[in-house]
Amino acid sequence: MSTEEIERTFSGGTKYVLDEELAKIVNITMALEMPLLLKGEPGTGKTMLAYAIAESLRMPLIVLNVKSSMKLIDALYQYDTLTRLNDSRFGDSKRDISNIEDYIKMGKIGQAFVADERAVLLIDEIDKADTDFQDDMLDVLDQMEFDILEIDKTIKAKQRPVIVITSNAKKDLSDPFLGRCNFHHIAFPEPDMMREIVQVHFPDINQDLLETAVKGFYRLREFKEVEKKPATRELINWIRAMNADPDFRVKDIIKGDIPYLGVLFKKSPDYAIAQRAVSRYRL
Amino acid sequence: MFTEFFYTLRQVGVPVTPTSFLRLQKALSKGLINSVDDFYISSRAILIKSERYFDLFDQVFAHHFKGVELSDPTEFDLSEAAKALLDAWLKDPQAIADALGIDEDSLAHLSPEELINYFLERLKEQTEAHHGGSKWIGTGGTSPVGHSGYHPGGMRVGGMSRNKSAVKVAMDRRYRDYSLAGPLTRTHMGEALKRLRNMIPTGPKDRVNIDETIYQTMKNAGEIEIIFERSLKDKLKVILVIDNGGWSMDPYIDMVQSLFDYSRSQFKDLKTYFFHNTIYDYLWVDPPRRSKPYAVDEFVRIDPETRFIIVGDASMAPYEIMATDGSIHLEERSGRPSIERLQFLADNFRHSAWLNPKSSVEWPYTRTINIIRQIFPMFEITLDGLEKMVTHVMSKN
Repeated sequence: MSTEEIERTFSGGTKYVLDEELAKIVNITMALEMPLLLKGEPGTGKTMLAYAIAESLRMPLIVLNVKSSMKLIDALYQYDTLTRLNDSRFGDSKRDISNIEDYIKMGKIGQAFVADERAVLLIDEIDKADTDFQDDMLDVLDQMEFDILEIDKTIKAKQRPVIVITSNAKKDLSDPFLGRCNFHHIAFPEPDMMREIVQVHFPDINQDLLETAVKGFYRLREFKEVEKKPATRELINWIRAMNADPDFRVKDIIKGDIPYLGVLFKKSPDYAIAQRAVSRYRL
Repeated sequence: MFTEFFYTLRQVGVPVTPTSFLRLQKALSKGLINSVDDFYISSRAILIKSERYFDLFDQVFAHHFKGVELSDPTEFDLSEAAKALLDAWLKDPQAIADALGIDEDSLAHLSPEELINYFLERLKEQTEAHHGGSKWIGTGGTSPVGHSGYHPGGMRVGGMSRNKSAVKVAMDRRYRDYSLAGPLTRTHMGEALKRLRNMIPTGPKDRVNIDETIYQTMKNAGEIEIIFERSLKDKLKVILVIDNGGWSMDPYIDMVQSLFDYSRSQFKDLKTYFFHNTIYDYLWVDPPRRSKPYAVDEFVRIDPETRFIIVGDASMAPYEIMATDGSIHLEERSGRPSIERLQFLADNFRHSAWLNPKSSVEWPYTRTINIIRQIFPMFEITLDGLEKMVTHVMSKN
């Protein structure tokens, strides 16, 4: 570990509450120069972690949102044949038509490689793509280089980016893929942690509201029949909604009259279940 | 360093690779790991690649480093020992009877659980007497972190549980719910069943592939070349047959119900039928099995490529399967034993499977399960079992 790296260890962002365990994992992953694979329920802050790393280490963040139809080449570079054709027909641009390199555009991984400073590369929801994409991509990330076939040129990473990969799937990724990553599973935050998270987002929140909202939130998460449980994002929006409503009183929640259920439960069957359950129990 | 730890992990079935172990060594030699807590966190991040193994890892970690501050035997070595015992018992009852000091007759009366409980109690007594909690202290000498420098009360790990040492955190078994043996949740099931999706291009080539068209046109130096392709369709048909009657299925109904809820949204063409205990001449379209019968013979008209999945505990009286007119419902008199009907279905659908909510450990003890297993490949309703089932019904031959 070089001195520079020791100085640049990760300790959380302004809007991100980091648990120590995860901080150590991030630091060790950066030191070993390996990608970090994060799994966990939606709303546990997998994606936010990359933003927090970029913010706290003052590195640029490059986000690759993986789509199911995506091919590896899209993430690396694009040969813009259409523009080239257009230029060759009308010839009103400054690009040199005979120079194919002028028509190569870098994809997200390519951008992270050619960036002048070390960047954070977030590869979001890798599980959406098929296995081949995942394995091939890891090869590229392992070698830290790829070829541009059209111009027979190899792009090498100037600075090894910090790579964070997220996956929502409960299902495992392929073995070769896993072999090249460090792995962490983010558990859903405990109530104490959640209180801290809320406080980071609402620094001057009324303590009564915080207490009741968090307590109520965990009660609401307990409904078994619900398909999509409310997560951190929903809680934050819920509190924001209650804060914005001038007629809202904390007492209402305690009485069992929960406002803005729709912010928490977004699927209509879930909403119906929650509404029924809420009218029966009091929080 | 820590090779023993590595092999213990392998032994209990955690897939750890030598490469990742070397990587851990690299981290150690770089001086990144300075305490047992660091070691716990980083070895887990580097060695373990799925939250399903976190629980086992915790157990092994606690087991391996227990010399630091723990003395009672961990659950894991007891259950490992129990498994070995059960195997031995099945092979040679006499020897086990001798070893445990009870005669073979009374041993034969014990159920497997009773036997294991009996054995575990014996083992606990023994462990205390034999090892005296000192067995694992030896690890201290090989550890680079130096156990002498490790203050059991001082170092802390974990964002939420700040008052626990790594070993205690490991002992917590926070990841029990994620382990393979853990209870199956709806999301797990949905994930496994999603694998059944099977998109194949069908029909005429009537869709313009714009990307490919542009690309080929460019390659043709601007001469327009239009590329057509077939559209993708999910061809997979699934028939799900659920045992929803009788007392024997009651404990599993919740589990089966959630499986059923999921499968409904999972495929385009899914038909669900119901039965009680086993299949005779009719299956039922309605869950109360009263108004809409469906003759089993009709299944010959259905595409034999349909995936046929039966969910049931396959536990009943043997005559219900073997005897003609074996049904416990008086109105179901067919003159043919159920086993023939099952065989007929298995012959008709090449891709069939039987999902059993009972744990596979219990299967050998139920006669009807053994009979049915000879007809349908049987799988447990666990994440593992579902995956195996899906691989089985998705295989081409």
